[in-house]
Amino acid sequence: MLDSIKDIVRKSSIHVCIVNCGGCNGCDVECVALLSPRYDLEQYGIYVHNNPREADVLLLTGAVTEQWTTNLKRIYDKAPEPKIVVAIGNCPQSGDVFNQEGGHVYAPASNFIPVDAAVPGCPPRPSEILEAILAVGPQAIADRGREEK
Amino acid sequence: MILPIGPIHPALKEPIRLKLQTEGEKVVKAEVEYGYVHRGIEKIIEGQTWQRGIYLSERVCGICSYEHTQTFAETIEKICGVIAPPRAQFLRVITNELDRIQSHFLANSTFFKSLDHETLFMQVLELREYAMDSIELLTGNRVNMGWNVVGGVRMDADERHFKPILENLKKIEEGFERTREIFAEGPALALRCKDVGVMTKKEAIKGRAVGPIGRGSGIKHDYREDHHTYQDYFDFKPIWRKEGDNYARTLNRFDEIPESISLIRQAIENIPKGNIRIPVELKSGYAQWRNEAPRGEVTYMIETNGNLIKHITIRTPSIPNIDSCAKYMIPGVPSVADAVSTYASSDPCIACAERVAITDEHGKTTLKKYGEVM
Amino acid sequence: MSSLIWYIYDFARKAWADAFTNAKSLPELAEKPERFRNFPQVNKEYCIGCGACTVSCPSPNAIKIIREKDDETGEGLTYPVIYPGACIRCGFCAEVCPTDPKTLECGENHLIMPEFNIIPSKRQYIVDDYLCIKCKKCMKKCPVGAISLVNDKLHVDQLNCIACGDCIEVCPVNGAMKGVFVENLYDQKELILLTVNYLEDYINSKEEDLRSLEKDSLLQYDIPLDDFFDEALKIIPDEEVSFEIISNAVNRLKIRIIDWDSDNCKKCQLCVGECPTGCISFDEDKDTIVREKDRCLRCSICYQTCPFSVIKYFIAKFSLEDDRIIHTTVKASNLNEEILME
Repeated sequence: MLDSIKDIVRKSSIHVCIVNCGGCNGCDVECVALLSPRYDLEQYGIYVHNNPREADVLLLTGAVTEQWTTNLKRIYDKAPEPKIVVAIGNCPQSGDVFNQEGGHVYAPASNFIPVDAAVPGCPPRPSEILEAILAVGPQAIADRGREEK
Repeated sequence: MILPIGPIHPALKEPIRLKLQTEGEKVVKAEVEYGYVHRGIEKIIEGQTWQRGIYLSERVCGICSYEHTQTFAETIEKICGVIAPPRAQFLRVITNELDRIQSHFLANSTFFKSLDHETLFMQVLELREYAMDSIELLTGNRVNMGWNVVGGVRMDADERHFKPILENLKKIEEGFERTREIFAEGPALALRCKDVGVMTKKEAIKGRAVGPIGRGSGIKHDYREDHHTYQDYFDFKPIWRKEGDNYARTLNRFDEIPESISLIRQAIENIPKGNIRIPVELKSGYAQWRNEAPRGEVTYMIETNGNLIKHITIRTPSIPNIDSCAKYMIPGVPSVADAVSTYASSDPCIACAERVAITDEHGKTTLKKYGEVM
Repeated sequence: MSSLIWYIYDFARKAWADAFTNAKSLPELAEKPERFRNFPQVNKEYCIGCGACTVSCPSPNAIKIIREKDDETGEGLTYPVIYPGACIRCGFCAEVCPTDPKTLECGENHLIMPEFNIIPSKRQYIVDDYLCIKCKKCMKKCPVGAISLVNDKLHVDQLNCIACGDCIEVCPVNGAMKGVFVENLYDQKELILLTVNYLEDYINSKEEDLRSLEKDSLLQYDIPLDDFFDEALKIIPDEEVSFEIISNAVNRLKIRIIDWDSDNCKKCQLCVGECPTGCISFDEDKDTIVREKDRCLRCSICYQTCPFSVIKYFIAKFSLEDDRIIHTTVKASNLNEEILME
């Protein structure tokens, strides 16, 4: 009984933390555009608050740079369970254009922390990000909550 | 005590570490620690062909990505001794000003968010979406546009693009009046903005502040004045204010938006007919070119060897701006909350700033700022 | 207080009421515009497998060309596959694609015209007029018609060339069609110098063989390339490129080797005066003749001057095939005899 109520509540209140681990800023800007009245992220019960301590969803952008090779795991550990990681854009998936000779990145991000979902694009449109978060977010969080027990 | 903020913090959008030295509530000194988003983009571009380089230079910064491609293209055009055809120049101006509008709106919305003024944050972001729509309509992508090439632009535009753009501009103007009034005349906002984070003209020159940050402190220069397209075809005057506080910087950015809108109107009205792209024969050589990005002057220095880029150095406006913010604006602000909003008012873009790394003989990598390396 | 009055005044103007009543979310706002560049579409059947898209793509992992297995209906198709996790949606691959109709389509690209199809290749294809036999096989093979006959000479149009390399494969003359790397000329120089120095040192180290070599007989060595290939990779990291540069250089290489038997030297110092570059000198402290290798021209004057046959002179030739072993042949010079014959 309590579990099912928890599931419902969890589904409709998601806190998001954007972690930029070394990208060109484009994906972060599109995440900020999601807050605008046009897309209105908050009507789905999603609240962007850049605090890993209270985050349910980590939005990961950027190819992993040298400083983040150690810090990414630390941030992931600080987020409370249950948590999911959504990789926004190409950088966390493949390193994008930075993953070539001369580049200073350690992509993909899944080498460091488990990534649950990925949105391709450089950068993806806000509607694509929104679709991905809504498709994977609530259900995954509810499932994770059950696994814990 | 020393108060660290960042790299991931509710107040910051991008990873950077601010170290604030406080005495009671008052902030007496600030220090900026870089190095979280260094990807080595200059080294990646070196040795590539220029056709690929133009798409790579877009990834220097995601907010002002357009200006980087234009500067890159114009530098290589200077090496080859050609000038893009007039129609391409006009199309470039339209995209450039649209990009400036959205960047200024974004910078101001971030500032309002740091003041916790949600209403203005939302209103400004809504206006920004119209500019983003116009960009997507014209170029095919919202952020990294892939619109410029050496010798012109990739796609032509006609009435079916210009008409919606003019409609969007009208919508921006309608909402803009009221938004600006709330900020400029609202008394509660004035308490948080006026006389906070003051940088005098002397300090701005000393800290090499550029763009709206420098113009907010009384430096009356805009690099668009020196650009041949603006000189030849457009009626344009730079906006500047002399107060040098958070209020002046934000209002300066607001006031530049009508100027950009009028430039787009002029461009659409007078756009000439003709080619939009000319074939360019590549030459070896070296050239330097400057342009006014939304955050200030951006400089490209490129040396080419035939088809390939031998060496490239990029100077972006964010480094002197963040530097002068930490040196002159933040010390003396009345509280830590004001320090964060002052930092946001300097419109920092960390992705622009981090490109140079130096490895010493022990294999330890340190990240340096542009000025220290030269 | 004043702020409160201002906000009440602002509220009373009722601008909010219009905004509130007009508020609605329009589904078409999230729609993609006509010009939106999505991930490229691939039309498999038109692909000629030239690889222009992979060369032009700024993102290294985005495009891969794959080949299907042959079956009874015919040869398997070759076509590019796009990985959306790395594609940056710039549409450059669609712009450079030389097929008609296009194999790759991406958004609305107005400027897909032949004069802008400059493929960003690191290799430049050049016809060597001296070796070319004008069979025109490359002209027929070229998939984009970039090779033409200008003033009775075959000419590659660099603006149209897609750098597929088919012309080199069909060319019956070895070396008539060249794919030159243009970007790293200084590195190439260093690489060739490294190879030559290594080969010379290797042959010089076989002193006993050289000194016991009789006239009209040959010495043969097999030098594995991998002995110094690691060092070569430090100069040019690309394995394929460095192998090609080394094999091009080695196959044409002819090294003259001077062997100096300093134990038998009588210190007559005749050679010191004769050397045209002055690289031979007499070290009085150590009582020996010293030869500076870097300044030596290998002109053989010292060899011809020496009355005691202390200095010996050899000619070495090399060949390097795909087996990565440098086959070396060393032959004693017959210079003296020729002079005597005259």
